[in-house]
Amino acid sequence: LIVVMLFSSGAAQAGKVAKGKGTKGAASEAKKEPPKLPAEKLAKVRDILLGDDEPGAIDAAKVLGLSGASNAVEPLIDLLSVGGPPGRLEAALDALGALGDPRAIDPLELYAGNHSADVRRHAVKALAAVKDEHVVPALTAALGDSAPDVRAAAADALAARKETKAAPRLLALVKRNDAGAAPALGLLATPDLVPQLAELQGTVDDNVVASALGEYVKRDDVADGLRVDVVRTIGHLSGAAATTALVEYVASVPAKDDRPSKKEAQKLLDEKGPSK
Amino acid sequence: VRAGVVRARAFACASVFALACSWAGCATSAYQRAGSSDDVAAALSKTDAAAVTGRPQNAAGRALAFLALGGTKGPRLAAYDLSASRLLWTQPADLKARVAVGADVLVYAAADALVARDVTTGAERWRQPIAKDERLLGYTIDGRTAYLVVQEGGVHLHGGKASVRALDATTGSARWRHEVASGNVGAPVARGGLVAVPVQSQYVTLLDARDGEQLAQVLSNEEAATFVRALPEGLFFGSAGVFRLAPGTAAGSRKSNGYVRAKLPAFVRPVYWFDLYRPEQGDYSALDRNRILWRMTATDGGGDARFRNDLALVHNYRFFFGFDARTGELKWAYNHPGSEAVSSALVGDAVAFVTADGELGALDARTGARTFSAKLPGEVVRGATFDAEGWAPSGAAQPTAPLADTLTAIVWDLDRRFWDVKMFAIEELARQPGHEVTAQLLKITEQEGLPPAVYQKAGEALVARKDGSAADLLARVLATHADYADGKAAPAVEILARAAGAMQARAAAPALVMHLRRPETPPAAVTQIARALAAMGATDALPALRDFVTMYRADPLYDGDPTPLVAASEAMLALGGPGERQLLLYLAEEPHTVEPLRVHLRRALAQTAGAEARLREAATSSADE
Repeated sequence: LIVVMLFSSGAAQAGKVAKGKGTKGAASEAKKEPPKLPAEKLAKVRDILLGDDEPGAIDAAKVLGLSGASNAVEPLIDLLSVGGPPGRLEAALDALGALGDPRAIDPLELYAGNHSADVRRHAVKALAAVKDEHVVPALTAALGDSAPDVRAAAADALAARKETKAAPRLLALVKRNDAGAAPALGLLATPDLVPQLAELQGTVDDNVVASALGEYVKRDDVADGLRVDVVRTIGHLSGAAATTALVEYVASVPAKDDRPSKKEAQKLLDEKGPSK
Repeated sequence: VRAGVVRARAFACASVFALACSWAGCATSAYQRAGSSDDVAAALSKTDAAAVTGRPQNAAGRALAFLALGGTKGPRLAAYDLSASRLLWTQPADLKARVAVGADVLVYAAADALVARDVTTGAERWRQPIAKDERLLGYTIDGRTAYLVVQEGGVHLHGGKASVRALDATTGSARWRHEVASGNVGAPVARGGLVAVPVQSQYVTLLDARDGEQLAQVLSNEEAATFVRALPEGLFFGSAGVFRLAPGTAAGSRKSNGYVRAKLPAFVRPVYWFDLYRPEQGDYSALDRNRILWRMTATDGGGDARFRNDLALVHNYRFFFGFDARTGELKWAYNHPGSEAVSSALVGDAVAFVTADGELGALDARTGARTFSAKLPGEVVRGATFDAEGWAPSGAAQPTAPLADTLTAIVWDLDRRFWDVKMFAIEELARQPGHEVTAQLLKITEQEGLPPAVYQKAGEALVARKDGSAADLLARVLATHADYADGKAAPAVEILARAAGAMQARAAAPALVMHLRRPETPPAAVTQIARALAAMGATDALPALRDFVTMYRADPLYDGDPTPLVAASEAMLALGGPGERQLLLYLAEEPHTVEPLRVHLRRALAQTAGAEARLREAATSSADE
């Protein structure tokens, strides 16, 4: 309650200012001058964040994250620097993710190596939100994490960044049947990786292969000739993911677009029939 | 195991009975004079020294190996001349037990008979049938007489009665028969006019080879006598150790000078000879591949027992080892490439062996150098008996590999059955000097898929070596970390960190810091990392130590066992300055810090504060002076 009251009079307003500036001109103005929390209020929130009250501290972290304020990142980094109960730390990581401030990269990387897989997942997601290329090595390293959730978070982040250099590592994960890496691989795979991916049929779960190829065919940058081959490969795969991939591909193509790959996908779906 | 327990109980009962008889003077007991040193001395005095030679039993005196062959060509018996490196003969023969070799014939048990074959040609000379109500308990041959122990009635070793029968080895005709008071009798041995027969696992009955008259009985009071062995240097009996059969050991006292046991490492199966009561050990078996090879020093009538050259050799499948029998020190090791040795014998100064795929070989018993090599192509060998006493292979010995190289080869042998031997090899490797040995030990810690005890053993060896020259190698090994995508596992960080600390390997500090920050590093490894960093004075590691302590100081995971946090904070105190003390003071008072760490920090900070104050006072007073 204290946190909410504090922010209703300062920090939250700063957030509202940021959100309110929705027009193009206003957005560029906001970029130039990100909102800033008043020092006195920030100090009080910091005290709550580092204080004894656990729920209050978690709320404080959330509100700081939502504020979008340029100076909201500092108390959160302070918290990560001195440590605290895991729930509070996760809230701080989420808040730093919401802020996406590059100044948080170092503590986020530190927590991406935490012994708790939950904490690591929060840290990786926060790193993913930082629009800075310095996070790429940490995200790529997180593909080697022992926890599937952490790897999936890193894979999604790298796919969103179109980090094609991560494709070989993603392929290595798919070879190990890692379902979480498959969509990202489909989004990042270069044409030379596609045959390798297709050859995994039989050695890797068909659903994993279908998931990767399904994302690949939906890409605009793929030549339709290659797409037809990929669609046929998907057609040979068993499992629900293969059918889903074909259905999603057909649905993703505009109705007026009569490209051969779409026809092929539709033909394969017809052959599979509704019961399949 | 059950059989062993039963045997132990039986032995204990028999011992009590034997003692009771000797106290009460059982006039009717067949073992009335058992343990009499006078009787034993008298019996041994009848030994025909001229009949005991240090040469092969066969009349030609050639070093021969008799091979039980199998494979697609069916069961056969072959004779191989070791001196001439040539196969003498092969005959179809279905052996059910070992070959025993005499002057002109060899004998072996078939399904329902004892079969004798000509040593020179392999032709069958005679066949002694075993009746349906009889059981062949064992046999031997000495010169031109064969001796059998046969049980009539009862079940194996229980009930019925047994007899020792002497046959003319040339014709198979009976010479004499001696009835034994028990059906519980083992296989006989013979040497120089004496026949020794183990009875009830406790007695060794000595018979006159000429007429079967009983001359003496040894009473093995302190140890079961499961074997009797005839060698040119004497008669021996025992089980867990070896007694030289002599007046001084007539009552089987292990305190006598006639008793000896080799000091050997734990992996060695302490089998000094085959258990002559167990029929399965009468045939070629796995026991032939895993046992102790020994000979005794010859004595001039004295009863002392001492291993020849103080050596006890160990045959362990594909490996042979030479140990100092008194100290257990490893003298040499031989790793036979490929197939395992199915049979071996210490025939004087050479270890003769044959492998399952038909390779014949010999090693110098003193050095382990390979001195003989021959091959029977395409054969499958089940076992062998060597009649090659005193054989000295004439070829030049192959150069022996350095012991460390052989031990390394054993460690990296692909056969995954021999972990006990590999563990021993690691232990011995660690005793060898040299940078290369340290590198090999490190390599073991890098290898994935080994049993945890192997990493532990290699790591402990590294810790003990304190080989500072290997710091770079250690750093290289530690530089790797787990990566799921690459399919890589973490190295054995815990033990390597200990080694790094012991070595003062500053070069490894960055890698240790890296592992301190890794999610997969287990708490026990963190503890060792922190201690190592403190031991090597790695002040560069302070940021990582700070990060670790702050990140986990409120983690309930460490509420139960804060050892890693304590170790990291101790390292901070040891390496850091006022900044670290200030941070730790804060953490000691911050309520979310796990209680055990808070308690420790308060105490540690108070202690170090006192020490610092004393140092300051001392510095001030010396400055004043």
